[in-house]
Amino acid sequence: MSIEIIGVSKTFNRFKALSNVNFKVETGELVSLLGPSGCGKTTLLRVIAGMEAADPGSGPILFDGHDVTCQEVGKRRIGFVFQSYALFKHMSVFENVAFGLRAKPWRQRPREAEIRAKVGELLQLVQLQNFAQRYPSQLSGGQRQRVALARALAVEPSVLLLDEPFGALDATVRRELRRWLRKLHSKIHVTTILVTHDQEEALEVSDRVAVMNEGRIEQFASPETIYDNPANPFVFKFLGSYNLFHGRKPNGSTAVAASPSSANGVTFVRPHDVEIRRENTDGSGIAAKISHIAFAGSSVNVELARIDDQAVVDAALSMHAYKDLGLKPDDKVFIRLRNTRSFDDDYVI
Amino acid sequence: MAGAPHQNPTMGGTGKPAPPTHPLVRRVTIAVTVLFLSVFIVVPVVNVFSQALSKGFDAYASVFYAASPPEGAKLSPAERRKLSSDRSQAEKTWSSIRLTMGIAAVVVPLNIVFGLAAAWSVTKFRFKGRSLLITLIDLPFSVSPVIAGLIFVLLLGRSGVFGPWASNLTWPDPFSLHWRGFAQEWWPFAFTQSFTGIIFTPLAIALASIFVTFPFVARSLIPLMDSQGSDEEVAALSLGASGWRTFRTVTLPNVKWALLYGVILCTARVFGEFGAVSVVSGHTDANDTMPLRIEKLWNEYNNQAAFTVASLLALLAVVTLVVQVLVERKTGKAAMTEVEGVDMP
Amino acid sequence: MTGNAVTEDRSPPRPPAGKLFSSPSRPSRLIPGLPLTLGYTLFYLSALVLIPLAGMVFKTTQLSWSEFWQTITDPIVMASFKLTFTASAIAAAVNGIFGLIVAWVLVREPFPGRRFFDALIDLPFALPTAVAGLTFSSLFLANGWIGGLGRHLADLVNWLAGLAGVGEIVSADALSWLSFPYSNTNTGIVLVLIFVGLPFVVRTVQPVLREWDTENEHAALSLGANSWTIFRRVIFPEIFPAWLSGVALAFARAIGEYGSVIFIAGNIPGKSQIAPLQIVIKLDDFRTAQATAIGIVLLFFSLLLLLGINGIEWWTRRREHRVA
Repeated sequence: MSIEIIGVSKTFNRFKALSNVNFKVETGELVSLLGPSGCGKTTLLRVIAGMEAADPGSGPILFDGHDVTCQEVGKRRIGFVFQSYALFKHMSVFENVAFGLRAKPWRQRPREAEIRAKVGELLQLVQLQNFAQRYPSQLSGGQRQRVALARALAVEPSVLLLDEPFGALDATVRRELRRWLRKLHSKIHVTTILVTHDQEEALEVSDRVAVMNEGRIEQFASPETIYDNPANPFVFKFLGSYNLFHGRKPNGSTAVAASPSSANGVTFVRPHDVEIRRENTDGSGIAAKISHIAFAGSSVNVELARIDDQAVVDAALSMHAYKDLGLKPDDKVFIRLRNTRSFDDDYVI
Repeated sequence: MAGAPHQNPTMGGTGKPAPPTHPLVRRVTIAVTVLFLSVFIVVPVVNVFSQALSKGFDAYASVFYAASPPEGAKLSPAERRKLSSDRSQAEKTWSSIRLTMGIAAVVVPLNIVFGLAAAWSVTKFRFKGRSLLITLIDLPFSVSPVIAGLIFVLLLGRSGVFGPWASNLTWPDPFSLHWRGFAQEWWPFAFTQSFTGIIFTPLAIALASIFVTFPFVARSLIPLMDSQGSDEEVAALSLGASGWRTFRTVTLPNVKWALLYGVILCTARVFGEFGAVSVVSGHTDANDTMPLRIEKLWNEYNNQAAFTVASLLALLAVVTLVVQVLVERKTGKAAMTEVEGVDMP
Repeated sequence: MTGNAVTEDRSPPRPPAGKLFSSPSRPSRLIPGLPLTLGYTLFYLSALVLIPLAGMVFKTTQLSWSEFWQTITDPIVMASFKLTFTASAIAAAVNGIFGLIVAWVLVREPFPGRRFFDALIDLPFALPTAVAGLTFSSLFLANGWIGGLGRHLADLVNWLAGLAGVGEIVSADALSWLSFPYSNTNTGIVLVLIFVGLPFVVRTVQPVLREWDTENEHAALSLGANSWTIFRRVIFPEIFPAWLSGVALAFARAIGEYGSVIFIAGNIPGKSQIAPLQIVIKLDDFRTAQATAIGIVLLFFSLLLLLGINGIEWWTRRREHRVA
């Protein structure tokens, strides 16, 4: 089922959580809403689910072209997975998953045998078939998460909405579940919207990512585009660490980006696009002094101070490059910037 | 009315041990606590049961049931008078127990429905005047029970605001409802007794009892439902459950222990209410609830009988405390298991 | 054109006024039942609380000022007010001191039976006031367990001595200073009011003490403060608002108390009649107007105290907010 949102706004006590959001998700897509806390991504998800009413006068929410703005949550055929999982504490895993089936109106309610079969199938899908009689309190965080997913899938939703589904889990479990979710999605292919504040998660899992800030969608594109071609400084900043240079030409002489020259601009460079050289062979390098070296597992973070204005620049080197150069603190080196992105300064973040 | 702490007592909120108190101060404060609580709570309660049983178990039982003399025994007129007075005393005591239970049977269910409705509206929604509403729910706690009775007298008494209407109102005694069969009319039930007026009838006692006890169920539910939030309810609704089904299968099981405690506390207070009931009862024997009966027995210098009736109420109070401890242990445990388990996907 | 390089951490911008909007776990429209439950709640409250209270206020407006003034300045009524407020104040003060000690011990000093005593604190809430009055009255009678404690002790000693074959070693009156025959006295009123108000101070102070971060005490110790200074300057200011509202609650409860007091008081007009008893007496004499006048004065003080207690809570919350 496709989801389309046209000009939706939401205000809480004068605080604009969503301002005129337009957004379309195609059938079978897995889309992430990515942004810092308070950017409105959860509100958007809840508006789609029908748990939050959009401001009066703002545009419709269309499921497959049908206006569902006035439909109740229970009628929208959505599967919602809560950040806190919201499992029913006093029910077994089986009863949790069966809840949606048992709650159907009497005429549509499947028979007990069908419910059993269906729940068994779902528990198989989330790899919890041996845990049916356990209670939520007896499960690990990752297992609870999968029960919540199975419970949401039981009603055969046409949309799956996940609110920070891995937020409360530790890093290893997150990574595993993320991969598992990707696989699950390719198996059941239900339209899915996932809310997250973790850019790595969003980029890895989704078909498309919507980066949100202050109630607006800043960019909505594929993960590659978002990373390589950020639409504005906010998106660039949000997707990883960066160096920021005021002025369009950070090294004074060499043009970095061939955009219209304007003195009032900002230029961003990722630390792994800062190249360190011993020699200034072509004269394009910026002289800098190494002030600190920190090891970060597979890479090395080098903190440098420019000779001309003492400004701090971060560089990330592979272990190989670092060893080849044989860098030490206080060494004088030259840096070159690759893949810089410049933006006009009047863009207000 | 918070309960027993579940933490290690020497730990502060951060779980770090407190610096030790001076041993002398420690001993003195513990001694003061034990002595103070013993004199003011333990001894009075033990005294109730001890006085009730001071003349033996037969005397205890005779407050409720006056034994008949052996068949064919010759009774002097004095003995006969004593026997019939014992009988009438026991009958009055029974009548007070029946009335109290009847009042509770009416008042407690009403207060349960009110408590659930009030807790639902106050914890699941945010609206203007919400904190004023919570204050209003607590109001009876700060009003003297005598005033609680007085306001109903002023409202419904002969010279009250609604006096002319209320004192001519005739209403059937619900406990006189009986089966009369279809012989007379198509409707097979009938009341044999009715009351006229409200003040100085059991209806006024019920009203005064409701006023004094309605906060208890709501108060025991509101903090718990507040802390549980609404996530589970929203989840149930998003799965297509109706509002009623959500309440019945999700909310109610989550609060059942707190509800049980609230109901028992409310029942105990209905049984034990004295001031408000005393004002609206009119001091007739027929309108005596158990506490009023205690007062009459005490004024008749029948101490042992007074204590015997009191021992029933004291027992109910002790049961309330036990339930409270059990409920706290139960909900405390539930909170403990909420702590994240070991991650092992 | 020199670039001014700034390296920033990726710090997500904070939401403006983040606490203003409702938390996501509390949707306002989603959950059904607001009209039904709120409607029923308001109906119940109006029918049982607001209309009756309004009726009382309405009745009061029908009193003439002179009638009102005459009623409450009547020496017997004045004496009853004086007794009610004095006895309640003394009881609240005693509960303030002992309640603090009890709360402290129950939270901080483990001893055998601590859980038992902790559970007992709530008994005065659950025990009917008539039963409390009855048992206190009998305890403090001249031959009661505490009223005749000296004589009972003397009897016990003599009985033990008799077993040992020594004969009588204390006379029956030697220990009479240990007897507290307070039934039918105003001291008895204070005693039973202490019982009635006992849970309030303990139960308001306990949670604050439990939440208290003991690191502060270690910090104060390391700065050279002694235990008394720590209690006075570090701990007590923290629990003061809770303690004060506990004392106020105990005081409010004592002012309205009726059932337990009339059992132990002498109930002599002008000497040992509390104000609520005056209301009952006036009502029994069908002097409704006078009962109303006394009632409205009592109600006024109760609501004043309720307002004060809410004020203390508001003040505490604001203080916490400011610290955070």
